[in-house]
Amino acid sequence: MSPAIAHVAAALLPGAADPTTSFPTPHLDYRALLPMLIVGGVATLGVLVEAFVPRGKRGITQTVLALGGLVAAMVAVVSNTSIRNITAEGAISVDGPTLFIQGTVIAVSIGALLLIADRALASDADFAAQAADVPGSAAEQASVRAGFVHTEVFPLAMFAVAGMLLFPAANDLITMFVGLEVLSLPLYLLAGMARRRRLLSQEAALKYFLLGAFSSAFFVYGMALVYGYAGSVKFADIATALSSSTHGDPLIIVGLALLGIALIFKLSGAPFHWWTPDVYQGAPTPITAFMAAGTKIAAFGALMRVLFVAFGGLSWDWRPIIWGVAIVTMVVGAVIGVTQTDVKRLLAYSSIAHAGFLLTAVGGITVGTADSESSVLFYLVAYGFMTIGAFAIVMLVRDADGEANHLSRWVGLGRRSPLIAGIFAFFLLAFAGLPPTSGLWAKVAVFKAAYEGGAAPLVIVGMLASAVTAYYYVRIIVLMFFQEPAVDGPTVLAPTVFTSAAVVIGVAATLVLGIVPQPLLDLAGKAVPFLR
Amino acid sequence: MTHAALHAAATLTPTMHTTGAFSFTWLLVVIPLTSATVLLLGGRRTNSWGHLLGVAAPVASFVLGLILFAQLIGKPASERSFDNHLFSWTFVGNFKAPANFQIDPLSISFVLLITGVGSLIHVYSVGYMAHDPGRRRFFAYMNLFVSAMLLLVLADNYLALYVGWEGVGLASYLLIGFWYHKPSARTAATKAFVVNRVGDFGLSLAVMLMFATFGSFTFTNVFGAAGSADHATMTAIGLLLLLGACAKSAQVPLQSWLGDAMEGPTPVSALIHAATMVTAGVYLVARSAPIFNVTPTARLAVTVVGAVTLLFGAIIGCAKDDIKKALAASTMSQIGYMMLAVGLGPAGYAFGIAHLLTHGFFKAGLFLGAGSVMHGMNDEVDMRRFGGLGKYMPWTFATFGLGYLAIIGFPGLSGWFTKDAIIEAAYHKGGTSGYLLGSAALVGVVLTAYYMTRVMLMTFFGEKRWAEDAHPHESPEVMKWPMVILAIGSVGLGYLLVLGSRFADFLAPVVGKAEDTAFKPIGLVGILTFVVMLAGIGVAYLQYGRRRVPAVAPVAGPLVVAARHDLLGDAFNESVFMRPGQYLTRLLVFFDYRGIDGFVNGFAAFIGGTSSRFRRVQTGFVRSYALSMFGGAVVLVAALLLVRG
Amino acid sequence: MSPTFYLYLSAILFTIGTLGVLLRRNAIVVFMCIELMLNATNLALVTFSRINGTLDGQVMAFFVMVVAAAEVVVGLAIIVSVFRTRRSASVDDANLLKY
Repeated sequence: MSPAIAHVAAALLPGAADPTTSFPTPHLDYRALLPMLIVGGVATLGVLVEAFVPRGKRGITQTVLALGGLVAAMVAVVSNTSIRNITAEGAISVDGPTLFIQGTVIAVSIGALLLIADRALASDADFAAQAADVPGSAAEQASVRAGFVHTEVFPLAMFAVAGMLLFPAANDLITMFVGLEVLSLPLYLLAGMARRRRLLSQEAALKYFLLGAFSSAFFVYGMALVYGYAGSVKFADIATALSSSTHGDPLIIVGLALLGIALIFKLSGAPFHWWTPDVYQGAPTPITAFMAAGTKIAAFGALMRVLFVAFGGLSWDWRPIIWGVAIVTMVVGAVIGVTQTDVKRLLAYSSIAHAGFLLTAVGGITVGTADSESSVLFYLVAYGFMTIGAFAIVMLVRDADGEANHLSRWVGLGRRSPLIAGIFAFFLLAFAGLPPTSGLWAKVAVFKAAYEGGAAPLVIVGMLASAVTAYYYVRIIVLMFFQEPAVDGPTVLAPTVFTSAAVVIGVAATLVLGIVPQPLLDLAGKAVPFLR
Repeated sequence: MTHAALHAAATLTPTMHTTGAFSFTWLLVVIPLTSATVLLLGGRRTNSWGHLLGVAAPVASFVLGLILFAQLIGKPASERSFDNHLFSWTFVGNFKAPANFQIDPLSISFVLLITGVGSLIHVYSVGYMAHDPGRRRFFAYMNLFVSAMLLLVLADNYLALYVGWEGVGLASYLLIGFWYHKPSARTAATKAFVVNRVGDFGLSLAVMLMFATFGSFTFTNVFGAAGSADHATMTAIGLLLLLGACAKSAQVPLQSWLGDAMEGPTPVSALIHAATMVTAGVYLVARSAPIFNVTPTARLAVTVVGAVTLLFGAIIGCAKDDIKKALAASTMSQIGYMMLAVGLGPAGYAFGIAHLLTHGFFKAGLFLGAGSVMHGMNDEVDMRRFGGLGKYMPWTFATFGLGYLAIIGFPGLSGWFTKDAIIEAAYHKGGTSGYLLGSAALVGVVLTAYYMTRVMLMTFFGEKRWAEDAHPHESPEVMKWPMVILAIGSVGLGYLLVLGSRFADFLAPVVGKAEDTAFKPIGLVGILTFVVMLAGIGVAYLQYGRRRVPAVAPVAGPLVVAARHDLLGDAFNESVFMRPGQYLTRLLVFFDYRGIDGFVNGFAAFIGGTSSRFRRVQTGFVRSYALSMFGGAVVLVAALLLVRG
Repeated sequence: MSPTFYLYLSAILFTIGTLGVLLRRNAIVVFMCIELMLNATNLALVTFSRINGTLDGQVMAFFVMVVAAAEVVVGLAIIVSVFRTRRSASVDDANLLKY
């Protein structure tokens, strides 16, 4: 029985222990847990701010609080870089990959938070005045006239970040489940909070919720089966149980499959990607940026930990499956993206394709290959920043009634606003993997790792898929720069300091990593071995 | 060539982690580069002071170069190599491309030549380009060139050298086509660039082959392993390096661009196409000495190319009436001498480089003198319109005269020391090849004396054959003094370098040395050279000094006509390479349109069609998504169970 | 009575829940089926806890229950807001985002 559970059991179950003896306190390494505690604390404070701070000041207070909390969490992560231990009675593993992913998540979340703040504090906010109002009703108009904005997005986003920090760090399945839910529930709500096109937004929230809950149910059932097989849900114990059995019991295999389903759902892998295009399109754009970047990073961290630490013994079993999933994901993301006409939906399919590329590195792994793991980490950083930047630009192209997301509205944007179109083109080239952007080195690293792990077919499919995705990225560039703009075209907002900061961070990160990728590759390489 | 001599080759290991002055080596390259960037980005705002910055940059590099030189000779001979590590452009696996600069005797000699002669030419250009509205742009390009050339000679690995190689090619293109409103200039620039591309192709193949064989680009690694590599590979690398050198140094068969390159302003011809860029090929061969030392075939090829070119250039030079084109042909020929020398192996490297240095001085001086003449004669270049200018331009006459004496190898001046050393080394090689090479060099001496005397006589002596509006006058001070300094160098440098095998000893740690390198001025070869030189002067005097020079080029025999057309170099290129190349291109274009484009478009249409059909699968209904997920889950579980089984 | 029967029961409940999600149109009923799946898991956890002789499974069932409760909060909020907007609780009516 794990010590954590033992404590709870000892305290709660009658007769299990003499209540007058001292309650054995769990040992928590607070320093290692500090980032998660900070973000969680900030989120809770955010809720209190919602309750007590007068409405006019809420936006600024929340922004400052959230940004400050994230920066403090980042400082905590950086100061933890030398820690490698499993803490919280074996429930949380703070090792190299955890710290790397937590750092990346926080960095990307800062970018996303800047976008959220921009859209929440702006006069024509993108967040609902009162999410509970029925769209099109008098109540909604009254709220809009009164200048309400739903500043609860900030604590919700902070809770999501806390979940993203916990999810890849979890060292047993139940903590991972808690992390998964803490990560997902706020996102379900946030997806529904757009101010304009509320029908689409609510529909996105509904779909995300139903499918997400569906997949979480699979996760829990898989967890139960694994528990049944191994007698514990801690990864170390699962690995031990696997190593001591002669061959995989159907129980553990099905358990692994069900766990895999939920994890692949979270990172938009086919055939569980159906939610991605709809939800990315319907959610408010800052939330889409947040989801696209943060969730995927956290989900890959969790997937790698589950597959390598817990189920390393079964690697010959899950490798072919990962191959299959990677190939289908890449093909779906690449091929179906070709005929898309909405820019957010197109970016959603592009992120599906990127998930596929990342999976090729996972598929090339023979357990513990440092190269594969570090290449995935590098790719996640590169991908996170370019995603935030790209969606930031999408936020700026607006019509009279909100964002102009249809590609026909983007025609000729290069003539009207060359700088914005140029930056977007830069991010598209980064997605396509062209020099001198970080996308090139990310793809090189990932494909090299896949090839060296023996997954040559994956690399071939990956390169073909890259070529196909390059088509639709370049199509947008051609559309923006080489066609005449429409007479009544959209305007491009002058970005506020928040969005500018986010875009600058995105461009800088992509460019710098494109020119000198080596320091980050080395850092990822050093971070790599998962603690068992 | 004895083995002992071969093994007396380079044994320097560079000192890394340099301190003191050597850690500023990178400034040599960065100062002119920064100046060029400022002048180009600054635009018209910098027009008033742009030329001053443009002169200051190479001067600063020269001063730094002198400091480094002083530091270098203060060290013992076996330690004279210092690396200045900047950063490592490492990406995947073991593909390391370090940005390092290396100071050793060979590179410092070139640094002093480039920055010293370069600074003088920059000063000269202030006056020469004074009336040109694009003067600032000119200095920007010149500084860019100096920076790239310095990178080329200071690099300690072939990849950085290649970057510098391409950089000088770019600068040459920009400068030849400087007066881009002239179609002839644009064409000449493109021609130079295209021909150089062929050579660059050879060099890049050589570099790739080196990486494939040795796994590294750095000189230390490549040269260290050169002895143990496969012989055929080394020969291939040597020949490919030679191809690169041929293009950059205008050697046969890639010599056709040099004559046309005279379209650029005269300082450009002086700096790039006389003193420095065209010598980059010789530098490449000398620097790659350990590679050439192990492949007698490649070395033989180098000497043959050198010998052929020296005759080729000399013959062309005899028939050219354009003073710049005559000097260009002369350059081609003199570089032929240098290639001949460096192809001889350790016996000749030092002499080739010595001749390179002295040639830098006197050829630059000759070109600046030609520029001075053109400046005084309203940019006229046809020597048949000159004549009798000696009285009107005394300084130009004097400096040009000293350069003339140096180039023909008049005893006592620098050219005599270095050229005679080469001829001797060629004969010393022994065997039929030594005899043939030496004789070719000797014939070259005759021709050189002939055509240079012709130039002198047609320009400065005899009757005036000027155009109506010519008012020849001496050049301003800013143009005069660089010519004077270069003339002093033409006179004195040879003595400084060659006497007592001083220079050979200096370079020995880098390129090796043959046993017997002390210069013997009075020997059989020396006397023979002197005699044939006088013969050449005599014939020229009889033809041009005694008789009247016709105002129009007279009808002449086939050889002369061919020489007037660059020995049919262009016609040859056109018929052998260009026309078949065009047919091949047309064929490939046809194949590309029908075959490849058809395939690609078909594939794209296939993807598009698939996409349109399959996007309907995303129906928008949550339940169908859930069903697909469930289906996927079943497939996943089944697959996993099957795989396990 | 062997505990494995409880496992079979849990599997059957899980399957019924899944089929319910796939087949029912009312959003509330779909959500109830998801809750059914979660409860099937709870049953499985408790059974395994009994089989393995440890208490971990029972404590984990608590965790799952708490999380399910939180999920209900969020889920019902979303479903109710959609219902108020569209006057219909059918999940099939929410199909504006497609292709």
